[in-house]
Amino acid sequence: MLRAEGIVKTYRGSATPVPVLSGVDVSAEAGALTVIAGASGSGKSTLLNVLGLLEDADAGTVWYGDVPVSTLSRRDKSRYRGRSVGFVFQAFLLLPSLTAVDNVLLAGRYVGRARTDGRRRALMLLEQFGVAQRAAHYPRELSGGEQQRVAFCRALFNDPPLLLADEPTGNLDDVNGALILQALRERAQAGGAVVVVTHRPDVIAGADAVYALEHGRLRRR
Amino acid sequence: MVTLLRTLRGYLFTVVGIAVGVAGLVALGAMSERIVRFIEGGDRFVLGQISAAGRGMGMGAGFTAGGLLPAATLRAIAAVPGVDGVQAQVMLPLNPTTSQFMTLTQELLLGMDLSVPSPNRAYRTLPVRTGRFLREGDRRVAVVGASFAASHDVDVGKRLTLEGESYEVVGLLERMLTAPDRFVIVSIVDAREQWVAKDNMLRTLLASGAAALTAADLNTGAAVGWREGEDPDAVALRIRERVPAVNVQIPSELSRLLRSSTAFFAALTSGIAALGLLIGGLSLANTVAAAVFERIRDFGVKRALGAGDLQLGREVLGEALGVTLSGGLVGIAIALLIGFGIDAWASRTGQQLFFFSGRLLGGALAFSILLGAASAAYATLRVVRLSPAEAIRRGG
Repeated sequence: MLRAEGIVKTYRGSATPVPVLSGVDVSAEAGALTVIAGASGSGKSTLLNVLGLLEDADAGTVWYGDVPVSTLSRRDKSRYRGRSVGFVFQAFLLLPSLTAVDNVLLAGRYVGRARTDGRRRALMLLEQFGVAQRAAHYPRELSGGEQQRVAFCRALFNDPPLLLADEPTGNLDDVNGALILQALRERAQAGGAVVVVTHRPDVIAGADAVYALEHGRLRRR
Repeated sequence: MVTLLRTLRGYLFTVVGIAVGVAGLVALGAMSERIVRFIEGGDRFVLGQISAAGRGMGMGAGFTAGGLLPAATLRAIAAVPGVDGVQAQVMLPLNPTTSQFMTLTQELLLGMDLSVPSPNRAYRTLPVRTGRFLREGDRRVAVVGASFAASHDVDVGKRLTLEGESYEVVGLLERMLTAPDRFVIVSIVDAREQWVAKDNMLRTLLASGAAALTAADLNTGAAVGWREGEDPDAVALRIRERVPAVNVQIPSELSRLLRSSTAFFAALTSGIAALGLLIGGLSLANTVAAAVFERIRDFGVKRALGAGDLQLGREVLGEALGVTLSGGLVGIAIALLIGFGIDAWASRTGQQLFFFSGRLLGGALAFSILLGAASAAYATLRVVRLSPAEAIRRGG
């Protein structure tokens, strides 16, 4: 479903260019939980950003099915992200000015989802993840686990075939971490392609495919 | 509506920042408007009539400064072709001990011959706020300007003592933000008596019988009108040529003179306005741009969720307009509050420091909205150029 070939990325912000990805090939299949593991600073998040078109690679192509999505226009990339990709971030990244339910609804705003139908779905997802009673609360009023569950609901709102999660359990305790991990597995079992960047052994142990990123190179374990 | 209110709540400090900038802009602008009104009022007045005075120097003040303008000279002026109406006037400083040079803010006594309609085309009547204007035959009654009334605490029905004589105040003029605000207007007969009482030399001269003067000769000047279609400058020149011993002001020359003598104020006005625009504008632009940059992470998240450049631009612009409009309105309210507060205090001495005209308030609001939108557009363009990942990283 998702395939990347020859991905090269170097950060040039500082005086010395920092090569991060040096010709990475990776693929993620529908119905599978794919894990990209590696030490901190190895470039896992950068690779996930490139796969989700959140930033451009210097070289290489990202394919979604038969479409080379990394070559799309800015506008089409936005559409692709909105309709086909769900993101879960380590820092949750909920908008502080919106309530939990409105944060979930935000995912529908840019793909033209009807608001009344959207609200029903947002509340259903919040119910499913056990945070429906917190729907009207602002992120600052939620615990880390609750925020991540709301962020997960936002990622699933448009029912995207591809879910990209960057250290989704990194800021959570064991109970909440296990809950999110379970949700990721269920998503994959339901037919979605799930790519998780992590260094947690329990996540790696439950993966269908595991890649290790070292010195800018990716190898399949 | 709820979303808008939530957004505004999120932007509270931005709204306050903009309000401070706009308040500064409006307050400085209102001070500038006040000065402009004063200069424009004088200009309108001198362009509305030909001012004549007797040749030489005398007791007269303001536009009628000069020597005596006897009744025979008034008749000669009235006979000049093109002249339409000559109104004898007596204009005196209310307090002769104050500087004669301070004519811009001097309190003046104006005696008007009410048997002749006002020839001034810009001021056919003076606007009365309460009570009434003078009528022909009135004696020992006065109409006073707004600043004079405030600083001397007089009102309609109260009495005023001038050179030992008691006058009933029958009318209060509207605040005109120019010279008549400091006028005490009486009938010309009363003004002539005031003149004689104030001027020892004139009193001695009249008592000696050395000069063949009647009461009708005691005029410091006259307002002269012109017939429809006549060029006022040409009529004034004609009077100067044909009537001896008279100082005639050419309206356009006097206007130029007035403008050059108030050039300092005009420059001050421009300076204040420019300063207001600069301070208010910079503060507003900086606040709006900073507010957009502060939310850079939110924009990164929205782009990750599929927001396109246009969608994001529309959102930011909409929010910026809402925020600048709110900040602008609050700023105007603050400026009005400050201005009216200071003016209430200053009015005890007959002063008004601020004038909040419609053009100022509308202009300030439009300026703040346009500048806010431009700043937001600039900041948005900078933000949308970043990749979503970069925006999230920078906002982290």
